[in-house]
Amino acid sequence: MQDRQITVIQAAAILVSSIIGVGVLALPLFAVKAAESGAPLVTFLGMLLAFVGLFLITVLGMRFPDKSVIEYSQDIIGKGLASFGSVLIIVFFAVLTSLTAREFGEVVVTSVLRSTPVEVTVIVMLLLAAISTRNEITTIAYIHTFYFPLLLVPVLLIVALSLKNAEAINLLPVWGNESKGMMKGTLTIAALFQGTFVLSAVIPSMNKPQNAMKASIGGMLIAGGLYVIIVAAAVSVFGAEEIKQLLWPTLELAKATSLPANILERLDAAFLAVWVTAVFTTLLSSYFLTIHSISKLFRLKDHKLFSYFILPFVFTMAMLPQNIVEMYEIIVNVGQIGLCITIVYPGLLLLISILRKKRGNSVEKKKVDQNR
Amino acid sequence: MRRKKWIRTVNLFCCLCIITPMLTGCWDRLEIEERAVVLGVSIDSVKSDHSQEEEGEVSHLNNSIPAPNKSLIRVAVQIALPGRIPLGPGESGGGNGPAEKTVWVIDVVGHSIDDAFMNLQQQVSSRLFFGHLRVIVVSESVAKKGLENINDYFRRNPEVRRMAWMMISKGRAIRFMDATPKLERVPTLYLMSTLDEGSRMGKFPKDYIGIFWSNLSKKGQEGFLPYVELKKEQNIEIKGLAYFRGDHLVGITKPLEIAGYLGIKGVNPAGYRVFIQPGDASTAIMTNTTHRKATTKVQIKDNVPHFTITISVELNIEEKLSENIQFNNPAILKQYEKKQEEVSLKFYTDIIKKTQEKGSDIFGFGEYVRGKKPSFWNKNVKSAEGWQKMYKDSTFDIKVSMKLRRIGMKAK
Repeated sequence: MQDRQITVIQAAAILVSSIIGVGVLALPLFAVKAAESGAPLVTFLGMLLAFVGLFLITVLGMRFPDKSVIEYSQDIIGKGLASFGSVLIIVFFAVLTSLTAREFGEVVVTSVLRSTPVEVTVIVMLLLAAISTRNEITTIAYIHTFYFPLLLVPVLLIVALSLKNAEAINLLPVWGNESKGMMKGTLTIAALFQGTFVLSAVIPSMNKPQNAMKASIGGMLIAGGLYVIIVAAAVSVFGAEEIKQLLWPTLELAKATSLPANILERLDAAFLAVWVTAVFTTLLSSYFLTIHSISKLFRLKDHKLFSYFILPFVFTMAMLPQNIVEMYEIIVNVGQIGLCITIVYPGLLLLISILRKKRGNSVEKKKVDQNR
Repeated sequence: MRRKKWIRTVNLFCCLCIITPMLTGCWDRLEIEERAVVLGVSIDSVKSDHSQEEEGEVSHLNNSIPAPNKSLIRVAVQIALPGRIPLGPGESGGGNGPAEKTVWVIDVVGHSIDDAFMNLQQQVSSRLFFGHLRVIVVSESVAKKGLENINDYFRRNPEVRRMAWMMISKGRAIRFMDATPKLERVPTLYLMSTLDEGSRMGKFPKDYIGIFWSNLSKKGQEGFLPYVELKKEQNIEIKGLAYFRGDHLVGITKPLEIAGYLGIKGVNPAGYRVFIQPGDASTAIMTNTTHRKATTKVQIKDNVPHFTITISVELNIEEKLSENIQFNNPAILKQYEKKQEEVSLKFYTDIIKKTQEKGSDIFGFGEYVRGKKPSFWNKNVKSAEGWQKMYKDSTFDIKVSMKLRRIGMKAK
């Protein structure tokens, strides 16, 4: 029996810092490509779709409060099928980890450290994540909670300061002039929220798993709200057409924003510093989820074994995209495939578990009832 | 126990081994004095043919890698001289008067911006750094040919800030790089502060390069830039708005017409003064605008957009030309208000007409159509070109209300 220490607030912090990560930079571009001035709406829809996935995971987690998705899927659909699903999850999150690291590397190499090889920035970030995943899950929860305010405050500050250059007309009409790409855009943006899947590994360590839903609603509201705010700010400052010209509109937003009284004339350096922590926490989550799932699949007690073992694989995958355009194509495609894993698969599991009346540990259940 | 301690030592050693290579410095280390900090850039067109010979074949070779068949441009940069730039106003003791220049101006020719910069880099030992680029001056003739290449280069370069100013010069742009205004030690800073202060005094709208780019991109709006001229004391006059259609310069306004733009957009603070004369010259007074407010409403009438613009302006009296008039009762002020409303109406209408003729909607009326009447936009306009045509047919209804509030320290 693991010690159950993670509180609701910590779980919410894990969710928020897993979601907010590397995707924040390109987010307004994805949203604007989908629906022009309807970008905030698309982001909101993406958030709702992502919440469906999170909701399923949370309900499943509350049904099986002692087990992670790898374990309870075996109870629900049998070992053979479940192993197949688990392998898919592991591969997907390994790919997600590598793409996150690569996107981070590309941003850093393009905008800040222009003569540093991209391999170095990627390997440094991955090493950092690998070392950090050698901690217990409670420690990881503390890391997330510690960085949590560091993610929110600067982003909100940049948004607030940029509003003085904002024009409301840029946000009209709210549904966008051309809404053909709305559906695809929603999927693309929902894919940016896939870090939430880490909750399936967190719930078994929560001290009150029955409150997991509170954490997921709270986490989603904060992270999704922040995403919508960022997109709205970027669109209102630049206008939809200009965003189409920018690879990383959020970074450009920080560049165009200055602290009052000329203290800092451009905030992109400050923003990038914060963004590195955001990327680190996201990377930490997906990396942890990958190795945690592998260890559960092989029924090992400890996940630390795989920390360094998968590092070369993740790193090699990160180096596969040949150029930045190809990388973004892969990110969008992988993200959409991933939605099958993070939304459809848990949906099926929940449906079957209800039909087969499968439930988790009844002893736990009694304890839960007493607590009410 | 001892064994444990031993393992700890080994672990610590391994950690050190991993960390040390990361702390030894990085690829991007560049000492500040090894950088050539570019403060300003000017871009001119090149007339004569023999300038072709002036250019070395740095980023193209005539036989194997030919240069694009585009007319040459002359690019001049202002590079800050490290150590010469005073760090504060009190540090005048170090410099030897105005004779010592704080910047170094070099010019080169090239087929494109980057080509020119590469020609320049071939001549300058330290690496060109654009992080402090504040002013880009483009000559009128280059702007007429189009700014596509210039906008592309500066948008792509991550060092360039969106808060820099781009301006269109009357005559050759390179003279702005060579200018030595007395007020600032660093010439580009003077150029920049002319515009920054201008927008603080209500003489010019905030129009940083980032805002210009945004306006340029918008489907229902065109960009504009400040139009400047170098005067004989090396000072700089803001001569008007240089307005664009797409990437091409299509027209230039008079300085007072900037006030018209500011009024129609309702930009504050307000700062232009105008003459008002209800009767003959002896009744003329000068008023100072203190506050502007404007609202734009759009309707669709007979399948063209019809805009209703309501402008309200607050004024103070600054001077009168003769003692004939006395500001001793409200009726007289009313009379002036009415007169000014009359002339302003024509004034604002003319400016809009002028831009309509060129199909250059610098006010962003098209954005109102796109935002407020999306179904009309999607059916009839759709693109930036569509709006450039539609703008010419749009109708306007301008309402002006002037309020004279104060008359200064003199009682009559």
